[in-house]
Amino acid sequence: MSKLRTTAAWRISILSALAYALGTAITFSIVYFFVAQGIRERSDAWLSGEAAVLARVSADTPRDRLYNRAVREVAELAARELPEERTATGQNLNAVFFLEKDPNDRQSPLWVGPSADDVFLEAIGRANPISGIPQSIRVEGWPTSFRVVAQQEGGRTIYLGLSGRGAAHTLQSLALRFLVVWGATVLLGFLISYTSAQRTLRRVEQITETVARIGSEELSERLPEPSNSDEISRLAKTFNHMLDRIQSSVNQLRSVTDTVAHDLKTPVTSIRGTLESALFKEPGDTWRDSVGEAIEGLDNLTHLLNTMLDLAEAQAGALSLDRRAVDLSDVVKQVVEIYQPSMAERQHELVIDLAGHVVVAADLPLLNRVVSNLLENELAHLPVGRQIHIRLRSQQNSAELVIEDNGPGFPPDIITRVFERFVKGKYSAGHGLGLAFVDAVVQAHGGTIRISDHPKGGAVITLRLPNHGFQVLHDAPEPIASNPNEVPTEGNHSQYAKANLE
Amino acid sequence: MRLLLVEDDVAIQDFLKRALVEAGYQVDIASNAKTGEMKALEEIHDAFIIDLGLPDMDGLDLIARCRAQAISAPVLILSARRSVDERVKGLERGGDDYLTKPFALAELLARVRNLLRRSSVPQNESIRLHAADLQLDLVRHEARRGDQLLQLTPQEFALLEYLCRNAGRVVTRTMILDHVWRMRIDPATNVVDVHIYRLRSKVDHNAAKPLIHTIRGVGYVLRHV
Repeated sequence: MSKLRTTAAWRISILSALAYALGTAITFSIVYFFVAQGIRERSDAWLSGEAAVLARVSADTPRDRLYNRAVREVAELAARELPEERTATGQNLNAVFFLEKDPNDRQSPLWVGPSADDVFLEAIGRANPISGIPQSIRVEGWPTSFRVVAQQEGGRTIYLGLSGRGAAHTLQSLALRFLVVWGATVLLGFLISYTSAQRTLRRVEQITETVARIGSEELSERLPEPSNSDEISRLAKTFNHMLDRIQSSVNQLRSVTDTVAHDLKTPVTSIRGTLESALFKEPGDTWRDSVGEAIEGLDNLTHLLNTMLDLAEAQAGALSLDRRAVDLSDVVKQVVEIYQPSMAERQHELVIDLAGHVVVAADLPLLNRVVSNLLENELAHLPVGRQIHIRLRSQQNSAELVIEDNGPGFPPDIITRVFERFVKGKYSAGHGLGLAFVDAVVQAHGGTIRISDHPKGGAVITLRLPNHGFQVLHDAPEPIASNPNEVPTEGNHSQYAKANLE
Repeated sequence: MRLLLVEDDVAIQDFLKRALVEAGYQVDIASNAKTGEMKALEEIHDAFIIDLGLPDMDGLDLIARCRAQAISAPVLILSARRSVDERVKGLERGGDDYLTKPFALAELLARVRNLLRRSSVPQNESIRLHAADLQLDLVRHEARRGDQLLQLTPQEFALLEYLCRNAGRVVTRTMILDHVWRMRIDPATNVVDVHIYRLRSKVDHNAAKPLIHTIRGVGYVLRHV
């Protein structure tokens, strides 16, 4: 029981039942009050009317021997106008009495009514009701009070009384029925709200249990998602969504840890081996080569560590960009200049198509690395003797750099994930960090990068960077360079201005 | 030339001192900022090499204190922190150059040389460079090996000029990228090597004694052996 009391379902249903009980009780009280008032008004109106009639009869009837009889008959007739409401014991609840009293003559008063008149006479004498205003008078021996109206007529006073027992009985049975129905509906309401609250909250309980069960090992489990979209379903969906993300992060972390372990341990092993073999060489041997090789291994390791740190920083959004107006075509030209001989070595044909000055607001060193990473990527993955097409276009609010090749394209198993860390093709010699870094830097600049396969085969990388209102003042036509070696890189400092100066 | 090296790591201290002494400098050593500041005030140094991660004080604060006491010798900052921000902060707060660990010894020596040259009276810019039988005319952008005029592209010429200016000293690939192309990129592929092979095929083609040598694990050197 105490455990039951701690449940939310219990509290919710108790509270709602209480609120319902209180509300209905207040409503009933108001209805009861009005009904009681209505009944009294009706009987008062009847009393006043009948009293007036009787007073007139008493005034009009001559005071002879027949007087008493005539008035009595009229009074009895009037009493019969009321519906007879009898109880199970046969007692008429709507008991009526009539009394005519003359304070001056000693004659006994005229009485029409139930039982002995003395208790009534005594009660009326005590209350002494004001003429014309109905009043409640308690009569000894009667459980409910009488409504009595007095009427003055030629020195005599006529009293007409009506037992409130009928009205009281009606109201009593009304209240009794209400209590029964009220109790039943409150109980029923409690049961309904308890069941529904419990059913709803059981789903919450289910979510709690499932989530509690999901440890780092059991991340594949999911909550059932009902088709409706109430709060609980949304909670379940949100949880599932969160679990998806956690699972993918954990999986990614696992594969990253594996990859890092592999990518770090392999060079460390080879460096160690190289140095060990140098140690056992005879003096005069070419141990220099081994040491040089070891240093190269260490440099590669440093390169990997630096790339990982840069990438982590870029992905954490911790890059602080020194944005300036940068001519992307200059960047492309200069980076291509560095890569041109290596491209020629691999017998790749570079086609450079730059549309004049294309200015973006960017961090120059980072942009250099972005372009260089993209070319590294081409160098690393393209079979000998292919064509690489670099196209740069200025657009309304952005610059678009497209790098196309006619190589094998991205391996289909990784094409959707190439911008993730350590994702690389099966035969790739790289670490799978270059494009992830490019993506992070481009995103930090508010740009986008997309990859796709060329319809004729080959890979297409489309990079879009916002220019943030920078545009070229003097858009001098630039000779299109097919061989960047021939393009002078100095002396083409263009003037830029921010178009929308505050 | 007297240098002050403030570095708390004993291993780095040792090999740096050995290398700097071999390169012909007098070297004072301090293992923490307090000793460093004391030694800087005691002696006159031509340049400082200061590690940022010192046990008792941040290297940048040490530089600030030295600057506050009118010590104006150039400072080369060594640091494991390699973000651009850190580099900029280092240079803004009194450092003259910034080198991140791990570094190639050749690069450290080159940077120290640069610092010392920068602080001394600027030399007259020569319009010609010589190394053995190699001649470079910096005005006409012509290079000759003996009597032979070399057909070089502008970047090959720039590369040869850089090697020539550092004749006898090893330059790393990073230094080449930085000085010839003004790029701080870190290629994973052998782009620089390909440039060197091409240049070498022109400069040392048919020559009895090659000038451009590969120092495995470090970089390249132009020297007449």
